[in-house]
Amino acid sequence: MTQLIQTTRDDHLIAWFTALAITIHIAESALPSPLPGVKPGLANVVTLIVLCRYGWRMAVWVALLRVLIGSVLLGTFLSPTFFLSLSGALASVAALGLGWAVSRAVPGWALGPLGFGLLAALAHMTGQFWAAYALFIPHPALLHLFPPLMTLAAVLGIVSGVLTRSVLARLNSSPSTSID
Amino acid sequence: MNNRLNTWLTRGDWLVLIATLLLVPNLYAAYWHGSGQGLEARVWVDGKPWARLDLFREQHLDVPGVLGVSHLEIGNGQVRFTNSPCQNRQCIHTGWLSEGGDVAACLPNRVSVQIMADDPRFDSINF
Repeated sequence: MTQLIQTTRDDHLIAWFTALAITIHIAESALPSPLPGVKPGLANVVTLIVLCRYGWRMAVWVALLRVLIGSVLLGTFLSPTFFLSLSGALASVAALGLGWAVSRAVPGWALGPLGFGLLAALAHMTGQFWAAYALFIPHPALLHLFPPLMTLAAVLGIVSGVLTRSVLARLNSSPSTSID
Repeated sequence: MNNRLNTWLTRGDWLVLIATLLLVPNLYAAYWHGSGQGLEARVWVDGKPWARLDLFREQHLDVPGVLGVSHLEIGNGQVRFTNSPCQNRQCIHTGWLSEGGDVAACLPNRVSVQIMADDPRFDSINF
């Protein structure tokens, strides 16, 4: 007797994209970081691609599963790193949700990959920073780090937006990968 | 969705970009503004307020921390660690503090000192 769980097309897409995001996440964790909390955020490019191609709901799955499974694989699950990462991811998907809702409600002002990338990076840094401040280091001197960290986040957000845009352009131009 | 790739920046993207360009300098203004010359320093030991010091009364102070005694030098509107029973002497290398909001801490010894200004930016401090 085998029990089959019915999976949908969306489930498969989420699984594949999450696997891709986790791979990048782990590769990225091997890179030395100049400052704690600063990462290029290349794994977020996958979230942005999913957002632009399949919508916000799918992007939330990919972003949160990536943080969860990535932390289990890296051995940081339930550690401070994990909670910072989770806070960042939650803030980021919330901001993307806002941007997504605006884009759907007012198509004339719809966001593209760059806008989403910037929004996600700034929200990620904000969520992560205030989680660090509230949970781990509630020291006023930490606040001095907030502006430069946000500056870096803005730059890296634009970079991830540009990367997302070029990947999307390639995905759109090759018919074999278009699923919808 | 494809039509969004025709341009690098949509109108919405411009909006986000401009909002970011406005936001970031304001963050520097909000979090980096100096509170000016401080008049008073507060010393914490093991997370509890230990003393309030007049920065213009010259004195040397022994602060009993968790590991041992940290020495503070106060005067001329400034305060600094001169000795502390820690490994890295991070607190001593911080040097003189004079601006409101400036902090030096000896974490191993659980001693910290912060300059308070007329308009303190923070109501409380926790470790």
